[in-house]
Amino acid sequence: MRLDFVKIFIDSTALLFRELVGPTADVPSITMKPSPVAGREVMAIIGLAGEAQGRVIFDMDLFTAVQLAGHMLGEPSPGMTPLVRSSIAELASMAIGRAISQINDNGTRLRMSPPTVITGSNLVSYDQCFETLVAPINTVYGEVRVNITIQDLD
Amino acid sequence: MHVTDEGIPVAKSPLTCLIVDDSAFMRFHLKRMMGSFDNVLASEAANGNEALREYGRLRPDFVLMDIVMPGMEGVETVKRICDVDPMARVIMISSVSYKEKVAEAMAAGAKCFIAKPVTTEELRKAIENVLCSPSADSGGVI
Repeated sequence: MRLDFVKIFIDSTALLFRELVGPTADVPSITMKPSPVAGREVMAIIGLAGEAQGRVIFDMDLFTAVQLAGHMLGEPSPGMTPLVRSSIAELASMAIGRAISQINDNGTRLRMSPPTVITGSNLVSYDQCFETLVAPINTVYGEVRVNITIQDLD
Repeated sequence: MHVTDEGIPVAKSPLTCLIVDDSAFMRFHLKRMMGSFDNVLASEAANGNEALREYGRLRPDFVLMDIVMPGMEGVETVKRICDVDPMARVIMISSVSYKEKVAEAMAAGAKCFIAKPVTTEELRKAIENVLCSPSADSGGVI
């Protein structure tokens, strides 16, 4: 696990959330979990490839997703509309895009996939071989967990 | 509306813009920002192929272009637009903003680069830069 990259992903996400949706509490702790990662009702997934590989999953309750999107859109949303899904995808994409930029500027080639948002109940992400670091970020609209797996290719 | 030297009122023709982003949220957000500017008409494309088609059809005054998109990415799309129209004014807007990627986008023909999340003021400044400078010049990185 590239812990240096994990720190960049978490810091980038917390900073972006502060900029876009207001204050966040400090990340209380980061925990290591074996796969699979159990998610909540909304998951935004971004793949990582290049000189390292892995993926980042943001998972949150439906209420939190709808409220976060409403804040970004500047108007309340009635539920999980296509625009809400897109807002959550963009939030994840901006957070990881920034982190990727920092990692590349530090000399490691890493690229990201466009985000995929999945909604449902009792979502589980199956990952065949990697352990996952989980960082909870508390926003005014509820907790967003950032689940990160990243390994060097060798 | 403005008045000619002869005192004839004429409608100022609007600036035209093409927003290219696979994110419906970003298209909505940028279009709303455009709405706060004076006299800008914005069209949308959700991917590179659609952008090429719409650019050929509309020949907009400027383009706002994302980088990370499924299929044809933004940098390749800019290159293809500029192959057809070397005077195209393209502003890249992306969260992926490391030096090499910015340089790649500018080499492909982009005139300006803004890192997401973009503010209305940053967008206004970028548009002014690319519209006020000769098309061949770069508006830089914001």
